[in-house]
Amino acid sequence: MAIEIPKNLDGLPTSQRRFVGRRVRRREDPALLTGRTEFLDDIKLPRMLHCAVLRSPFPRARIESLDVTAAEALPGVEAVVTGEDARRWSHPAASSPDGWGGHCLAGDEVRLVGEPVAAVAAQSRAAAEDALEAIEIEYEPLDPIVDPFEAMKPESPLVDEAKGTNKMLDRVFTWGDVDAAFDAAPHVFRESFRWNRVGANPTETFGAICEWDPMSLELTVRGSIQSASHFGLGRAAVFGLPSNKVNVIATPHGGSFGGRGGTRCTDVACLLSRKAEGRPVKWIEDRMEYLTAGGSQAWDRHYEVELAVDADAKVTGLRVKLVDDLGANGEPYGAICAAKPLAAFTGPYAIPVAAYDLKLVATNKLPSSPYRGMGPPPHFFVLEQMMDIAARSLAIDPAEFRRKNFIPKDAFPYTIPSGNEYDSGDYEQVLDRALELADYAGLRRQQAEARAAGRLFGVGVASAIEPGVFDWNAYAIVGLPGTGVPEGATVNIDILGMISVRVGFAMEGQGQYTLVSQLAADYFGCELEAVRVVPMDTQSAPPSFGPGGSRLGVAITGAVLGACEKIRGKMTRVVAGLMQTEPENIVFRDGKFGIPGVEGASMSVAEVAGTMLARSDLLPPDIDPRPEATHVWTAAGRTEPDAQGRAKSYLTAAQSVHVVAVEIDPETGQTEILRYAVVDDCGTRLNPVVVQGQLEGSVAQGIGAALYEEYVYDDDAQPLTTTYMDYLIPTVNEIPELLRDEVVTPSPFTPLGAKGCGEGAIHTTPAAVLCAINDALAPLGARAREVPATPNRVWNWIQEAGDGNQTPQGEGSNG
Amino acid sequence: MSPTRIPVRLRVNGRPAEGLAEPRTSLVDFLRDELDLTGTHVGCEHGVCGLCTVRVDGVAVRGCLMLAVQADGAEILTVEGLASPDGKLHPLQEAFAEEHGLQCGFCTPGFLMALHELIDDEPNPSEEQIRDVLGGQLCRCTGYAGILRAVQSAFAKLGASPSTESGA
Repeated sequence: MAIEIPKNLDGLPTSQRRFVGRRVRRREDPALLTGRTEFLDDIKLPRMLHCAVLRSPFPRARIESLDVTAAEALPGVEAVVTGEDARRWSHPAASSPDGWGGHCLAGDEVRLVGEPVAAVAAQSRAAAEDALEAIEIEYEPLDPIVDPFEAMKPESPLVDEAKGTNKMLDRVFTWGDVDAAFDAAPHVFRESFRWNRVGANPTETFGAICEWDPMSLELTVRGSIQSASHFGLGRAAVFGLPSNKVNVIATPHGGSFGGRGGTRCTDVACLLSRKAEGRPVKWIEDRMEYLTAGGSQAWDRHYEVELAVDADAKVTGLRVKLVDDLGANGEPYGAICAAKPLAAFTGPYAIPVAAYDLKLVATNKLPSSPYRGMGPPPHFFVLEQMMDIAARSLAIDPAEFRRKNFIPKDAFPYTIPSGNEYDSGDYEQVLDRALELADYAGLRRQQAEARAAGRLFGVGVASAIEPGVFDWNAYAIVGLPGTGVPEGATVNIDILGMISVRVGFAMEGQGQYTLVSQLAADYFGCELEAVRVVPMDTQSAPPSFGPGGSRLGVAITGAVLGACEKIRGKMTRVVAGLMQTEPENIVFRDGKFGIPGVEGASMSVAEVAGTMLARSDLLPPDIDPRPEATHVWTAAGRTEPDAQGRAKSYLTAAQSVHVVAVEIDPETGQTEILRYAVVDDCGTRLNPVVVQGQLEGSVAQGIGAALYEEYVYDDDAQPLTTTYMDYLIPTVNEIPELLRDEVVTPSPFTPLGAKGCGEGAIHTTPAAVLCAINDALAPLGARAREVPATPNRVWNWIQEAGDGNQTPQGEGSNG
Repeated sequence: MSPTRIPVRLRVNGRPAEGLAEPRTSLVDFLRDELDLTGTHVGCEHGVCGLCTVRVDGVAVRGCLMLAVQADGAEILTVEGLASPDGKLHPLQEAFAEEHGLQCGFCTPGFLMALHELIDDEPNPSEEQIRDVLGGQLCRCTGYAGILRAVQSAFAKLGASPSTESGA
């Protein structure tokens, strides 16, 4: 029986939709608000030990000697592990690109500050940390590899001698006749940009509790893990265990945003548990460990970009050269952030051809991790600055220049040069609403007055695409094989009509359990409270990837509705049998099965479930008597990547326009955001209050990246931002009030027409803020080409412009 | 080498409590590990993020910057003490739920405890006073918008009769 999942809200079998698409209060909140939600570090297991990790203080050094005997002898210490144990009992981790993974504890050489060298399991964390002091270790420091351009030179020392190069990837992707487009273009604009390292910083750091059962050779890992199933497969490979002997229990996450990696210390805790005869070992990353050596850092990028524009002000080509400093290995999969721009390379614009010269480079810094947006936010920062450079040079209003180049609304589904297909959109309408909401004309008048008074007032208009519902094929160019990412749900109805939905992911903050309840309650015509959402471990859960790549809202909607449809089909046959009619005559609506026009021929879901469970003798003989079904949803129509990496990858393309007004204090370089307006289109909003929350949070992270946040290393590859006094997370006082509006063009490809929207505004915010800063600085001839645009940087740009030290920008000659 | 453990006696959420603490043990570790009150979370352990905020003799304090032994004899209020024993949420908690003032919820107990002090100290706070308190707490999910709405809603509902007593 084919399962038909409703393509829009009217397709739900209810006359009065009460939950889906409405602002529903989250069911997760009461436990969170009262401190009752059990996070990882709240768990205490019998005989549990605590782990502390000794880390390298050097970015590059040889380990001359390592002696742990004094530590092992200390009271309370139960096990100590070193690189020798890691080599005996585990394999190097998987990585992207392939072959750039290592063992969880260093061997003869350390490659970054913070690399685990040894670890202790003891009765308490304090005792374990005390024992680290007793470990004797001697290093011979080596010259670190810091600068990716130096690292690419043949004479450079190597981060990993065995690799023979520091270039993890060096390829040019060409989509269409790019050279011809640039040769023919009357205007070519060129510029360089720098995006410094930023990162996720969930308020809960990472951690794990690991139990190695020495009798059954089974491994159990509890952790605040984003994709439990994927994490479990990784651990099975590292420890050479059959995949059905690794069970991962994901605990609720105190935020994630992609930066929740830390496989090395999880594996260290597994080794310690093995050495401690299977006692559970808890590892909790502290904040300094997170900032120096966790999944904290992303996107360390050097860009050179060229834009070709024809005589009619249409953009005809885009060339992007990216040198991405990935740090010391590829284990955290930061490389996929350089691949994801393929899903939206040309943004919201109808640019016919493009090229991507991509170099991933190894240095002795922390390996780069994913972070919300996964790579497109820096890409759109540079693309949107280029759009403004072109508009300014051609004396066209930046909003109108964008309008002129938008993909028109009747062109969807639209395939971009890098291969992905956008589902739907109405970019002009989004732009118009944003300009109106922000009072763009009024802002330009204010700007004219401010400029006349010698003040630095700027307006930025930026637009970007948020690719939604990721697929592995998007990352083929950095070595990830495969297509298809499943999400499953098992819906079960008990003998009293109460509903349980079993899922394979932990709470993370996006209200997914509320969404599951909304869907099941509207489908079966019951109250939210009649639905219970039950997270399962990886050995019990339906197939699941969990949150990531702006996918889970769409994917779990497909899974839950698919399972509901299967139960409806089964119950329809049961009811038809009981009512002695054909299934075609049975209609299900508002929680009741009946025969239209036949008085009294009606059964509630609870009555049908009760009959199925209690009186299987009354059912048609081939019916499974359980009112239960599992559905696994996977995005349809994803394609194998071609040799240039082109594929239908991300299923949806949400779009937004942000309009920002800023004023810069020329004396201090401080940027103040005076107005911030957002209009976005992410299709059907399944719980609008949650969508709004994702947007608001993502703007704040984008402002952090644009103005404040930066991981700084000194010239010797020592990290300088190791506390929250150095790495500046925005507080309430850095975030402006948002003006918001929305446009809804439902996706034709997804359940209920929803588009992925969890990563959201960070795709656009850094671009928009920097557009505004550049607009403010334009009268001085100063240019912002680097983020974060800290007061010190902005002040320097102003001084350099005053000294005439900034080279002329913009249009270059052809060729 | 085994460190001395010192008895600490105090009152938590209206009830007597006691445990043993090494001199170096922070108040938040003592609450979490010794008294099993795990509703108070740890975010940075260097006094910036505010996640571990609890009230000590009425004052909002960072539990990572105070030693457990310093709290001997003190009256402590934690997030576990805000709701009524019958499960009714404190108006502040209610407002956070109503206005989507939390996402992952990990930072929320710290926000609640910092704001709980403000409710007692200033029944009608200015926006500046509210921002001054919130400015000491980090949240990575909400962008603070929902939190601001929640605080405004809570103060509007509490009106001129602030709760000086917790559910404890």
